Amino acid sequence: MTIPAQVGGRVRSWMNRPEMRGVFWIWAAMTAVLVVFSLYVPARLMGPPASPTMHAVENTMTVFTVAASPVAAAVWSVALYSLLAWRHRGSGQPETDGPPIRGNTPVTALWLVLSSLLCVFLLIWGLAAMQSVTAAAAGRVPLQVNVVGQQWLWSFSYPGQGDIETDQLYLPIDQPVVFHVTSKDVVHSFWVVQMGIKIDANPGETTVTNVTPNKLGTFVVRCAELCGLLHADMEAAVHVVSADDFAAWARGRRSPPVESSPPK
Amino acid sequence: MTAVIPAGPARHVEDLDAVGRRWRLGVVLFIFADAAFVASLVFTYFYLRGLNTDSGWFPDGAASTPIWIGWTIAAGTVLSAAAYRWGHSGIRAGKEERLVLGAGLAVLVVLVVVVGQLIQLATFPFGVADSSYGSTTYVLGAANMFHLLITLFVGLGIVNRGRLHKFSSTNNWQVQIIGLWWTWVAAAAVLSAFTTSFVASPNLLVGNG
Amino acid sequence: MSEAMVEFAAAPPSTGGGGLLRRLNLLTAVAGGVLFAAIGWYISHRIMQLGDFGSDRVVTITLICWALGFMVGIGAFAGPLRWLLGRDQEHEDEMFLAGKDQGIGRYFRFTTDHKVVGIQYLVVTMVLFAVGGTLAMTIRTNLITPNSGFLGPQTYNAVVGIHGLVMIIATIVMVTGPFGNFIMPIMIGARDMAFPRLNALSLWLLVAAVPILLSAAFLGGIPTGWTGYAPLADQAPPGMDAYTMTIIVFAMSSAIAGVNITTTALTMRARGMTWSRTPIFVYGVVASVGLAIPAFPMFMSAEVLLGMDRSFGAQFYVAAGGGSPWLYTNLFWLMGHPEVYVIVLPAVIALMEITPVFTRKPLFGFNVAVLSIVGIVGLSVMVWAHHMFTTGWAPDLNGSFMLTTELISIPTGLLFLVIIGTIWRGRVWTTLPMMAVYAMLWNFIIGGVTGIYLSDVPADYALHGSMFVTAHFHYTLMGAGLTGAIGALFYWFPKMTGRMINKRAGLVSFWLVQIGFNVTFMGMFAVGLAGQPRRVVHYDHLFAVGNFVSTMGAYCIGVGMLILLYAVVSSWRHGAVAPANPWGAKTLEWAVPNPIPLENFEVLPVVISDPYGYGEGDPVLPPTQRELVPVGAPRDPVAEDDTETSQS
Ligand SMILES: [Cu+2]
Ligand SMILES: [Cu+2]
Repeated sequence: MTIPAQVGGRVRSWMNRPEMRGVFWIWAAMTAVLVVFSLYVPARLMGPPASPTMHAVENTMTVFTVAASPVAAAVWSVALYSLLAWRHRGSGQPETDGPPIRGNTPVTALWLVLSSLLCVFLLIWGLAAMQSVTAAAAGRVPLQVNVVGQQWLWSFSYPGQGDIETDQLYLPIDQPVVFHVTSKDVVHSFWVVQMGIKIDANPGETTVTNVTPNKLGTFVVRCAELCGLLHADMEAAVHVVSADDFAAWARGRRSPPVESSPPK
Repeated sequence: MTAVIPAGPARHVEDLDAVGRRWRLGVVLFIFADAAFVASLVFTYFYLRGLNTDSGWFPDGAASTPIWIGWTIAAGTVLSAAAYRWGHSGIRAGKEERLVLGAGLAVLVVLVVVVGQLIQLATFPFGVADSSYGSTTYVLGAANMFHLLITLFVGLGIVNRGRLHKFSSTNNWQVQIIGLWWTWVAAAAVLSAFTTSFVASPNLLVGNG
Repeated sequence: MSEAMVEFAAAPPSTGGGGLLRRLNLLTAVAGGVLFAAIGWYISHRIMQLGDFGSDRVVTITLICWALGFMVGIGAFAGPLRWLLGRDQEHEDEMFLAGKDQGIGRYFRFTTDHKVVGIQYLVVTMVLFAVGGTLAMTIRTNLITPNSGFLGPQTYNAVVGIHGLVMIIATIVMVTGPFGNFIMPIMIGARDMAFPRLNALSLWLLVAAVPILLSAAFLGGIPTGWTGYAPLADQAPPGMDAYTMTIIVFAMSSAIAGVNITTTALTMRARGMTWSRTPIFVYGVVASVGLAIPAFPMFMSAEVLLGMDRSFGAQFYVAAGGGSPWLYTNLFWLMGHPEVYVIVLPAVIALMEITPVFTRKPLFGFNVAVLSIVGIVGLSVMVWAHHMFTTGWAPDLNGSFMLTTELISIPTGLLFLVIIGTIWRGRVWTTLPMMAVYAMLWNFIIGGVTGIYLSDVPADYALHGSMFVTAHFHYTLMGAGLTGAIGALFYWFPKMTGRMINKRAGLVSFWLVQIGFNVTFMGMFAVGLAGQPRRVVHYDHLFAVGNFVSTMGAYCIGVGMLILLYAVVSSWRHGAVAPANPWGAKTLEWAVPNPIPLENFEVLPVVISDPYGYGEGDPVLPPTQRELVPVGAPRDPVAEDDTETSQS
């Protein structure tokens, strides 16, 4: 017999053992449930994305949960099957010991290889996602918005638009935006929740993040770093509007006598 | 998993070598912990110097402490460690007087260095609140002071115990482990002097970013 | 307590030795601490001219004086002074220090016996959990509805910070303190720790730190969360000075404990206990405290610098003077990530030690387990900046920290393999400790997988600072860590107290805590994904359902923990007397009789195999460990019966 055939034979006879079948079916059922959970729950909970970045994050959550499902199911199915099949019933100590299995090199090697592959996959996925976030911003001239955090409010200014200052963020749809973020006092964290971006506002430093909003509507900026008494209230509205509405709003803000009014 | 030795070692009588080995490992681990502390202060110095936030590391017109003071303190500490080693090699050869003399000399040198370190801390040409350079230099000096005071205590102990004939050519592990500590204190003083030799920030961009 | 106090106030035992320490105990320590603190307060408040930073300096000096006075009052400085003066301890002094013939009073003294220290650690840990748990209930009560108004923002922030720090300290010591001190030396066949006096020193430093920590509640709280991020910490009330002093004292305590435990495990193992015959729990303890040795001094330096910022106006973290908040985050997380493994490793590995006993099988892949512990320890010092992806300190390094972080999943996965490999085809004996193993398998998988999301840089940009993170680390530190510690307590309770724990109460508490835990933190995952930030006193109506569910789960945990407390206290006092080896385990601690004699072993054991020879018929050894019971020591009849049946 050739070596592959031997291995194949061993695997087959192994799979025919009742406990392996039991574990397999439990594992398959758990994996199926977990995959369904992965496909529907995490991304749902995060809500509809308002930017490609957030879309990518929700994808990542789904894919990672799917990828983790068979692993989690493997651990849990072995534990559960052992409990169902070999549980010692009775009050005292088991009369007999279990089989003296001190290890199993093929199983350990397989586990190591699979978990390493999974790890490599996670890493490549993450690096690719990081790359795509930076690549998305390249090419077009972004709209710059300066963000200043202070206890306990956000203020925004648009240096390319005649230094408009505002406490609510207005962004044109499908236009790359770059945020230059800093703080006047303690560390805050600038978090545009539905767009999946976050960067700390540090006193004395300017940090940068960017995003391209792709959904009309009103969203929210929250502070994600505990910053003192009214940390919970440190929110601001984000209005994503059409390019025309944005231009109109900016014009309105630039001419001092006209009071700003949010566009429809 | 076990068997029993019918006539095990009598209680409380422990092999001196075993006790010495154990304490040596203990002191090495303590030095490791202290080294992590010192390393984080050195990291603080170089990190803040490199960042130079708001050009505030070493503001224009600020004064720095002359670097020779730090190096003199380090040299004194090295000298005391060397004197101590000389005393230790004495007791290994069974010469008690040389231990007392060497360790006593080392303690005296440390005492001088303590005074020098105190003078330096008291006469820095800047305040602890003036700049991050000032703050970090102060804390490095204070850490050195802390080292020296501990060294003074254990050094005095060795002198006194040497005087009381507690050590011999075969029983001197206490002298040895304190020598390890002493050597580390000297190394840390040198590291501290080296660190504070670099004053101006390499990052001179105004308001970086 | 009253009973203890009576005995404790009784005349000192008639045996000689002890010297001055004979007169010192917890009462004199508290008196010394209060006296010194009063003097420190008076001098700093009335006499010194303190200027701008007055209140911070007064608080800091007072707290330092408290700690010094407490340590003087407990007698911590007696040993070093005697050494200096050349008046070494006689055998009788050592026996007194070890607590010989002192009854319950030895638990209130500077006692060096590792078993006494282990029990002291256990009690301190339980007190800390009681405080931290009460605060957790307060937090969850406040968050029951979006705007409950139960706590104002100031109180809420203060409570969140104190809860965090109390729990972090409690979880750091919960395994290596009680079990690392009590069990580990017996497990390796030693008569005590390598440095018994340092052992007492580390315990009493921890005890001295607890009132400092609690004093924060009266000094404006810790309004920064347990992380104490600067420069928010620079502007916080004097409670923050209590925070820095707590950490400085606690860091000393854990560095000393770390040195002591590591040296013990490395140099005091019984003859024949080679590394491949050393129980895996010893590896877990050493990994934990070994990581703590370099980690906590960095934490200490971060807090020394913070204290200087606050009391002297130093410029470490304040941007205006050339400082940087990134310095704090770096120093903090250089400690902070290893600290996660300081907490989780010994707990999970205690369960790994338990699994072979309750499946009656050898540990599956001992070498694999050791290698993965080494791998986790090695990697854990290279991942700290995954907590700082969003700080902007070095965006170009985010990718490499993602790499090192995700690599940890490989050795961690192997730990799971070892445990399920051991369970596989075992005689699964569902005692309370074994149930903890199962609970950990469930919780730690969830904690680990959610950790992978957070290691992914883009996903972390979305999730960082949200309730998702809070839920994630509670799944690891509580779901795996605390569950492991409770499993270890169930497992070693008969050896530590000489009594069996009330199984029915234990069961009720187990299910309440585990179900409540999963409900609480599943709810928290949901609101975190939906965008609720951490550490907020009120929140959007969007998150109302998840938070309500969380709070209900938390109450469930609270009730379960109270029942656990009842089970521990009542079983300790009047539980059934435990046989020497109720579980038929093969590690050495089960080979000593109950109660354990002062120096554990009359005759030191020699080890000829590892402790996992289940089903292998123990080829060389006689079937019972009876031989190890010292001649003349009282024999426990139940123990004999039990060991008879245990080895078939
Ligand atoms: Cu904020
Ligand atoms: Cu971490």
